[in-house]
Amino acid sequence: MRRAALILLNDVRRHLKAPAVILIFIAIPLAMTALIGIIFAPKTEGSKLPPIPVLIVDNDKGLASKLLVSSFDVDQMKEMFQATVTEEADGRARMSKGKASAMVVIPKGFTLDLLEAKPVTLLVVKNPAEQFLPDIVEEFMATMAVMLSGVVQAFAEEVRGVRAMIDLPVGAMPWESLAPELGKAQKKIAAASKYLDPLLLRLKEEETQAAGARPRITASHLFSEILPGMAVMFLLFIVQTLMRDLLTDREDGKLRRMATTPLRPLELIGARLAGGWFMGLAVLLVMAGVGALAFRVRVGPLGLYLLLAAVISFWTAAFFALFHALVRNRNQAGALGAPIILAFSIFGGSMINVEAMPKAFRAIGIVTPNRWYIDGAALVREGRFPAASLVVLLVSGLVLLALAVPALRRRTTE
Amino acid sequence: MLEIRNLTKSYGDVLALDRFSLDLKKGEVLGLLGPNGAGKTTLISILAGTLRDFTGTVTFDGRNLFADRGLKNRLGIVPQDMAFYDELNAMDNLLFWGGLYDVPRAELKRRAAAILELVELSGRAKEPVKNFSGGMKRRLNTAIGLLHKPDLLLLDEPTVGIDVQAKVSILEIIRSVGAAGTAIVFTTHQLAEVETTCSRIAIMDHGRILAQGTLDELIRIVGERDIVEITGEFPAAAFSEALQGLAGGRVELLSASDNQAHLAVAATEEIPRIMDLLFRRKLAVTDLKIKTPGLETVFLKLTGRSLRD
Repeated sequence: MRRAALILLNDVRRHLKAPAVILIFIAIPLAMTALIGIIFAPKTEGSKLPPIPVLIVDNDKGLASKLLVSSFDVDQMKEMFQATVTEEADGRARMSKGKASAMVVIPKGFTLDLLEAKPVTLLVVKNPAEQFLPDIVEEFMATMAVMLSGVVQAFAEEVRGVRAMIDLPVGAMPWESLAPELGKAQKKIAAASKYLDPLLLRLKEEETQAAGARPRITASHLFSEILPGMAVMFLLFIVQTLMRDLLTDREDGKLRRMATTPLRPLELIGARLAGGWFMGLAVLLVMAGVGALAFRVRVGPLGLYLLLAAVISFWTAAFFALFHALVRNRNQAGALGAPIILAFSIFGGSMINVEAMPKAFRAIGIVTPNRWYIDGAALVREGRFPAASLVVLLVSGLVLLALAVPALRRRTTE
Repeated sequence: MLEIRNLTKSYGDVLALDRFSLDLKKGEVLGLLGPNGAGKTTLISILAGTLRDFTGTVTFDGRNLFADRGLKNRLGIVPQDMAFYDELNAMDNLLFWGGLYDVPRAELKRRAAAILELVELSGRAKEPVKNFSGGMKRRLNTAIGLLHKPDLLLLDEPTVGIDVQAKVSILEIIRSVGAAGTAIVFTTHQLAEVETTCSRIAIMDHGRILAQGTLDELIRIVGERDIVEITGEFPAAAFSEALQGLAGGRVELLSASDNQAHLAVAATEEIPRIMDLLFRRKLAVTDLKIKTPGLETVFLKLTGRSLRD
C-alpha cells in the first residue's frame, strides 16, 4: 500500500508539474459551452422570443393605414415586433437578403376602401427561410384585420357620414354636420367603454406542469444542458492521457526498473487506476465549479453530483486501464483512442442532443458512458437520484476492471 | 552469490537463451560481451523479473530470486533506457525510485544527497531532468540503480550514447561499487570498457556462454599469435580454398567473409607465403593489418564475426 501511495502521489506531482495538457482539456469544454451558450441563449432571462423583425410598407398613407402602422408602436407590440417602415422596393430587397421575418404591404386606397366598407386586402410577404416567426406575423395581421373589420362595421353609419365629407375641400366641409356624427360615435364609444376600461376580460398567463415538458429555456439552463456533455467528452480525453503511463512505462524501461523493486504488479496497477479515477474526478469538479461561477451552471445537490462524478470517473479509469492493456504501443493507443472517444461522444449525446438523433443512433448511445452521465446529470439538476445511471456505470465499470486487471498483470511481464 | 542454471527462453522459433548457466561471486564485476541477438538483454530482463515463460533456476544466496520478494531489496538495475521521469528533478527522481525499496525516508534523503555527489550532479539536484545533457542523464540513471546499495547490480549497456568523459566517470563508479562488494553483471558492446572495468569476462552468442574467464585467460584461447586482417575483393570460399595449401598449423583461419578475412599467425614471417598463395589465385588484396592478441581476436575466434556485426 505504501508503494502504491508513493506511485499515486508521484503521478499527481508529475502531472501538476506539466499541467498544460490537462488545462487545455479543461479549458476546451468550458470554452465550447460558453460559445454555444452565448450564440443560442435568450438575450434576457425569462423572455420568450426576441422581437420579430417586420417591414411595413404603407402605400396608402391614409388615416387607417397610419393607425395600423402606429399600432406596432404600442409597448406590448414592441416586445413582440421590431417594425420598420419602408418603401416597397427597399422592403423587397431586404426580404430577399433575409433581413426580416415578414413584410406587410398596405395597398393604396386602404383607408378609402375601409371607409366605403369595401373589401380590402393586406399583403403579408413571409421569409421562406424561417419556420414560425413569419406565421406569427401573419396571425397577428389576421387578428388586426378582424379587429379593423369589426370597428368599421360597428361605426359603419358614422363612417359613411364622414366619408361623404372627406373628399370635400377643408373650407367647404359642413362642420355643423360633422358634430352629430361625432356625437353618435362618442355615444357608441362611451357605451363600449365600460367593456374596455377596466377590461372585464383579461388574459392571464400560466405555465402547465405537463410530464416531460422542458422548462422555459434561459441562459443558465442552456449552459447547464451543454456542459455535462462537453465535460464527459473531455474527461475521456484527459483520463486517456493520464493513464497512458501504463504503456509508456513498458516502452521507456521504467517498468523494468519497477519490476526489480519489491513493488507488486497489483500495487502498480492499483496506483495507476486510482490516479486516473481521482484526477478524473478532480477535473470534473473543476469544470463544474468554473461553470457555476462563470456561467451560472446548475449542478443540483452537491452530494448527488459528487456521487455521479465519482462513478463516471471510475468507469473512465477502468475503461482506459483495459484499453491500455490491449493496445500494443503508444502509436496504436493514439490512433484508436481518439476515434473511440469521438464515437462515444457523438452517439452518447455530447455533441448533438439525443432527442434530435435518429432512433438507431439513440439505441447505440445506450452503450456509451456519455449518455448515462448526461441523463444522470439532468436528473441531479432536478434534485432527483440518478439510480439508473449510477447502476449502469458502476456495474459496467466493475466488469471493465475485472477484465483490465489480469490483462495488465500479463502486460507487466512479457 | 548468484547462480544461474540452464536458463532457457524462446521467442517462437528463436532460442534467445539456450541452457544458459553462470555463477557470480560477491564483489565480482562480470562483463557480458556479445553481438546483437546474443541474448544479453533477455538475460537481464529475466533477472529483472519482466519476462516469463522460461525454464531454469536463478538463486541468490541460495534463495529463489523470483519467489522471494524480499530479495528485491538487494537487487538493482541500470537499464539501457533512461528509466526516470523527465518532469521531475534529479532529487525527486531519486526519492521516488528509492522509495520503492525498504529504505527509511531520512536515510533515503541522506543517500540521495551522497549519490548525487558521487555522480557529480549535486549542483543540479533541483533542476528538471529534461534539461540535462545525455551524459548527465546516464549518470542519474546509474545513480538511481545504486541508491539502495544493492548486493547485485545489473547494468544493461550503461554507457550507450554518451561522451568519453561521461563514460569514464560511469566506469569509475562501477569499479568503485564493485570494489565495495557489490556483484555486478555488465553487458556491453565496448571491448575497451570490459577490459578496463571487469574482473571477469564472459563471451556470449546464440544464447550461450562460449568462454569466460579473466582477460589473460581468454587471450590464451587464441594463443600468443598475431592476428592478420586481410581486406580485398574476393569471395569467402575462394579465400578459404586458397589457404588450404598451408600446412603445419602455423596459420589458422579465424574467420572469412566476402572481401575480409582474419588469420592467426605464429609469426609475421608467414605473411609473404599467405600473400603469394592469394596472388596465385588472382585474389585482389587492398589492405592488410596486423593486430596483437586481444579480446577482439578472442571474440572473433569464438563467434566467427566481429562485435560490430
